[in-house]
Amino acid sequence: MAAGVEMREEAPRVARLHAILWGIFSLGGMLAAFLLPVMIYLTGIAYPLGLWPFNGSRDPSFLVMGTLLGVLFVFVTVAGSLFHGIFRFQSALTEVGLLRLKKGLEAAGYLIIFAGIILLAYYLLVLSPSLPTL
Amino acid sequence: MTEKTFPELRRKLTSGWWTSNRHYVQYMVREWTSLFVALFSLVYIYGLSLLATGSRSAFLNLLKSPAMIAFSFIALIFTLYHAVTWFYLLGQVVPVKIGKTTSKPWQALVANLVLLIIVSYLVIWLLVLR
Repeated sequence: MAAGVEMREEAPRVARLHAILWGIFSLGGMLAAFLLPVMIYLTGIAYPLGLWPFNGSRDPSFLVMGTLLGVLFVFVTVAGSLFHGIFRFQSALTEVGLLRLKKGLEAAGYLIIFAGIILLAYYLLVLSPSLPTL
Repeated sequence: MTEKTFPELRRKLTSGWWTSNRHYVQYMVREWTSLFVALFSLVYIYGLSLLATGSRSAFLNLLKSPAMIAFSFIALIFTLYHAVTWFYLLGQVVPVKIGKTTSKPWQALVANLVLLIIVSYLVIWLLVLR
């Protein structure tokens, strides 16, 4: 009887956690779809090759230094893409023969995701120390 | 089909199961594009760590290195592939009902692609041009 009550309480909690994690996952999918291409273009292609809109005048470090909008854009895009990418990649690995390592892959995946997001937030705050007061 | 009257419900999957069918291959390619989405994020965080520790030139040299440019091109192609398939998927999962007609996946794809172009331009305008 007691075990039954415990299970009844446990199931919705796990389900809620799953719903939240999958919610962030699909939010990350949206962010990766809408914002990541332009971010890769700006930092990885337009700047080093001197293409529009950079034309050799500025460099992409201004994105993360100073303006709240730029910092927010970088944080949301990189954090969302990291969550979505790692989440999806670790589940893809379980589909090509690594199913027995599922628990370990999930643990490693979440570790990379959360360590990455914390580091990202930390570096952004170091680069724009006045940000919390903006 | 097997000759057994009672079918075996559990088929043993080898690690190459997805090569047996074009749709599975597409699915698996899509799953693996996520690696580039994640890798770009990690490389960018590494770049920020260089910038945050005071080495602006190291950050810029990283972006300018040929390997990084090549990686960015591949990552851009894969993220666009991710975007296109994601938009198509959205149309399949959440069809929009307008009156008596229900939207088709390709309509969601087109609408979202237009939105992608607008959003991308808006980002460039807000962050760089303005």
